[in-house]
Amino acid sequence: MSDYILDARGIRKSFGGVKALKGVDLSIRRGEIHCLAGENGCGKSTLIKVISGFYEADGGQFALDGESFTKIAPAEAIRRGLQVIYQDFSVFPNLSVMENLAFNMELMKGHRLVNRKRMRHIAEEAISRINFEVDLDERVENLPVADKQLIAISRALLYDARLIIMDEPTTALTKKEVRSLFDLIRKLQAQGISILFVSHKLDEVFEISEGYTILRNGQNVAHGDTKDLDAKKFAYHMTGREFAEETFQPQIVESNPVVSARGLSSYGAYSHVDFDLHPGEILGITGLLGSGRTELVQTLFGLQTHDEGQLLFEGKEVRFTNVKQAVEKGVGYVAEDRLTEGLFLPQSITLNTIVSHLDDLCSKTGFLDQSQVNTEVNHWIQELSVAASDPQQPVQTLSGGNQQKVVLARWLANDLKVLILNGPTVGVDIGSKYDIHSLLRRLAHAGLAIIVISDDLPEIRATCSRVLVMRDGSIIAEANPATTSEARLGELITGQA
Amino acid sequence: MNTTLQKMSRRTEPYILGAIIALSLLIQARSGQFFTGNNLVDLARSMTVPGLFAVGAMIVIVSGGIDVSFPAIASLSMYITTKILLAADYSGPVILAYIIGGVLGLLMGLFNGVLIGYFRFPTLVVTLGTSSLFIGIMQGVLAARELPVPPAMFDHGTAKLFSAYNTQLGLSSDMPVQILLLVAVLAVTAFLLRSTMLGRGIYAIGGDEVSAKRAGFNVFGTKMFIYGYVGVIAGIAGIARACMMRNAHPTNLQGIEMIIIAAVVLGGTRVTGGVGTLTGTMFGMALMTIMSNSLILLGIPTYWQKVFTGAIIIIGTGVSARQAMAKRAKPRKASPSPSKAPQSQEASK
Amino acid sequence: MMLKKTLLLMLVACTTFAVFANGEGERQPKPESEWKIALVPKDSTNAWFVRMEVGVKEFAADSGLNAFQKGPAKTDAAMQVQVIQDLIAQDVDALCVVPVDPAALEPVLGEAMDKGIVVVTHEASFQENTMYDIEAFNNADYGAFIMDNLAKAMGGEGEYTTMVGHVTNASHNEWADGGVARAAEAYPNITLLDSEPRVESEDNMERAYEKAKELFKKYPNLKGVLGTSSKDAPGVSRAIEEMGLKDKVFVAGTGLVSECRPFLESGTLQYITLWDPKDAGYAMCSLAAKILRGEEVADGLDLGLPGYENMQFAPGSDKVLIGSGWIVMDKNNMDEYNF
Repeated sequence: MSDYILDARGIRKSFGGVKALKGVDLSIRRGEIHCLAGENGCGKSTLIKVISGFYEADGGQFALDGESFTKIAPAEAIRRGLQVIYQDFSVFPNLSVMENLAFNMELMKGHRLVNRKRMRHIAEEAISRINFEVDLDERVENLPVADKQLIAISRALLYDARLIIMDEPTTALTKKEVRSLFDLIRKLQAQGISILFVSHKLDEVFEISEGYTILRNGQNVAHGDTKDLDAKKFAYHMTGREFAEETFQPQIVESNPVVSARGLSSYGAYSHVDFDLHPGEILGITGLLGSGRTELVQTLFGLQTHDEGQLLFEGKEVRFTNVKQAVEKGVGYVAEDRLTEGLFLPQSITLNTIVSHLDDLCSKTGFLDQSQVNTEVNHWIQELSVAASDPQQPVQTLSGGNQQKVVLARWLANDLKVLILNGPTVGVDIGSKYDIHSLLRRLAHAGLAIIVISDDLPEIRATCSRVLVMRDGSIIAEANPATTSEARLGELITGQA
Repeated sequence: MNTTLQKMSRRTEPYILGAIIALSLLIQARSGQFFTGNNLVDLARSMTVPGLFAVGAMIVIVSGGIDVSFPAIASLSMYITTKILLAADYSGPVILAYIIGGVLGLLMGLFNGVLIGYFRFPTLVVTLGTSSLFIGIMQGVLAARELPVPPAMFDHGTAKLFSAYNTQLGLSSDMPVQILLLVAVLAVTAFLLRSTMLGRGIYAIGGDEVSAKRAGFNVFGTKMFIYGYVGVIAGIAGIARACMMRNAHPTNLQGIEMIIIAAVVLGGTRVTGGVGTLTGTMFGMALMTIMSNSLILLGIPTYWQKVFTGAIIIIGTGVSARQAMAKRAKPRKASPSPSKAPQSQEASK
Repeated sequence: MMLKKTLLLMLVACTTFAVFANGEGERQPKPESEWKIALVPKDSTNAWFVRMEVGVKEFAADSGLNAFQKGPAKTDAAMQVQVIQDLIAQDVDALCVVPVDPAALEPVLGEAMDKGIVVVTHEASFQENTMYDIEAFNNADYGAFIMDNLAKAMGGEGEYTTMVGHVTNASHNEWADGGVARAAEAYPNITLLDSEPRVESEDNMERAYEKAKELFKKYPNLKGVLGTSSKDAPGVSRAIEEMGLKDKVFVAGTGLVSECRPFLESGTLQYITLWDPKDAGYAMCSLAAKILRGEEVADGLDLGLPGYENMQFAPGSDKVLIGSGWIVMDKNNMDEYNF
């Protein structure tokens, strides 16, 4: 028996004229946790679909559990012990946990009538394998995301899985949930199951995997043992670019603050908050979810109103009761969930960029001045290096990082004084993350006042000149990110030494 | 026990049943004529044909689609059947009418199914289109006119299971035999939806079509079945309607789809698919039927009846929609996930 | 500067168009053989209007003119507007219209008249944009006549109510009002049901049946229903038979033999009143042809068929022409009418 559960050699696949995979290799040992990394569009998903039988490769071959294939049927892949856990977990939100667990097995066996007793039996067996406790009669949509993932994992284990592919499994999970997922992965490994962990998150790759393979533009760029990898190499392989570790040194900070808070309180959210924000600096705000950080910045943008204290804008007291008032003062806000709050997904990059200041782009007759629009949009696409073939491309076809850049472009196209970013690089690939960070630094150097809310400590170190730590609605510390260790910041955030 | 109660409170059926009871008590208080045998028989009669339609509409909505073509399918099946039987001077049992009507409905339903399942056109567009097409065939090709029904259908239309007497007022009402048709369709559909993998597949497709395909459901086959089955129900309902009216009227059913769909949604069927029960659907249909057949009993002036009906529909469907929204909001709170964007996209590829 | 130019251009364009449009109003005289006279009914599938088409064809045969009927596929005001627009585009010379909703047709009929098309309506006595409106009879008189029939059936005493297709339907409501006025003046023992004086059947036999059942439950003393829509009498009759109220409750109203035959035979329904839609169709086309020929329209106008040989303008109107074209059908004479 071969040492490898999967050994793929020279896999090629094209769609139309686009070469998605240009001869890719991927080898996973039995019982290994292997990481497949790469930026969006590098061919990860295509490779998985070839191995699991949903696509047929144009060339190359792969051995699965000792047997060699040039193409494979999905059912055969399952028989060979392969299971894929998709990003969306492939669950039925409207159905019970029991049905979600048992359907695949029932269908595979060709049962035509529903036998609830048998399905319950299957479901119980599935959850018992990972000691997962859940009400089998609950509708899946009423469960937290982590439980949906556990349903997908326990369902996969029913098939005597020997290789489980997890496609970006941590995207929707909280830190705590990620930790328990990793525990589970190690337990599965102890049972001899190999895991292919698909991710572009550096820290996760280091924490969980033993071996790695990195793809870029449909080609292998690196593979080996994770212990030989470091952050810098990882980022280089992913993007093909060298990134210097940077910190932010404000250049000209004006002495007069643009925004000041004095004893600012909002009942139930935060209380007695004081801070100043000066043009030219980047102020970090960090803290756990529920620490009041989001509510605080929403107050600056008119999404919330404060109940007590003073909010000063350029020295004058203000109280924003709606977004329009804040926008008129020159405040911009990039929300946590840019998709539900920020972008018109099916619309073009152009429209998304100019939508908040259409009035300025109109000619005297009241029609949009197309040439002015094009000049402006092209300017921002270049300035922010948005990876797009055409400004008319719908925003939903872009990667997370590029979508985030479009949101930024929209705000920057307005004349801003204060820009607030809430989790600016959540779900964004490394290259775009560096681009966004360096853009923020450039903007601050140009005199913009910026607030970054983040719990990504390296991000705070890379961008902020000062950081406020919030806990339970109060600012409990101000720190200099350049001189404070990540460990110390972590202690401040959680309040645990 | 506590969790059972909690689960009950998340369902729509108890609320709509409460609304039915409240409305019934109100009508009883205003007229003294609600809880009488003859009135209840009248309501059952009025609900027979809409009830059949509602079963079909619910199945389609559960699967994630919407069907507005069933009145057209019913009308065309009914009209062609009547015409054939009249031309043949048919005098045998009425079952033949139902067979012809059902087969015609099946064919029209499968036509919907091919457009929706194979060509993947949006269901609303397809059924709006086929609806016009079927009515067009009736009026253009067949030059449809009102027709008297053949003797077999006439006799079937006057047949009754029993009569309910109201001795106080000296009134009687006949329970039409067609109610058995509704009972039979409900029984078959309940079995289908609850106890067959095909039926569970309808719910699965309505929940997440991509997942259904990955799980091994035959998505195309299931869709063909859905639209075929709903077509058969519509065809049969058309025949029942003509028999009960003793008159084949080609356009009498047009416009009924909105009331039926409102009733289905009122009954807790989720417009976005995946969730819906026959019990809720029948409750919703009962509420609509009671309402439209009790406005005089309630003493609502003719000029205000539409306002009243509209208000009930808005309030009722609004309550259902709010509940659905509350449910959707819940899991988000449990796990704050700032960005789920890239993944849902990839999944839809 | 640009803007001014654009405006000027648009202005010129508008004026030019208006001139042409006006010019079109002065139609070139055409030979009679090229005339197109179109009759637009409420609903081309309805048996009533199928019968009307017979009249149109009879007129075409008698006169040798090109007269035809074209209507919407169901009773729907918007669809009727569409049909009329299509006909205008086909360059018809005369439009004879039975409006679903007179108000909804005002713009399109106005457009037709602006283009010099002869417009004649039927059952729309308040229509503004029409040259003449033909009524087979005075609506109030017809309502009174239905009331006479209902009173005869009710034995001259009891409580009654009225049923209309829609409360927005002008003719139905005028008939019902005429009937109510007649009862008040001639039948002291017949009283209107005050709490529900008018109900809607939605021009649908099934709804008429359901509404009647509700009425009989709520108002046990109700003895008569005065129907107006042709669906009212048969629908109410079915309810009377099923509820066992035959010989206790009575209905009279407009009706077609084809739909009412079983009830006339059983005696549940004693009289139905009606005007022959065939005659109305013939009369409309005949009037349209007279206008196209430039003949004078005045009191005493003869449209060439019984009931319409001595048309009179309604008092105070120069548009509404009234005939006396109603008929009564009962068990004995119903076989003379094949519609």
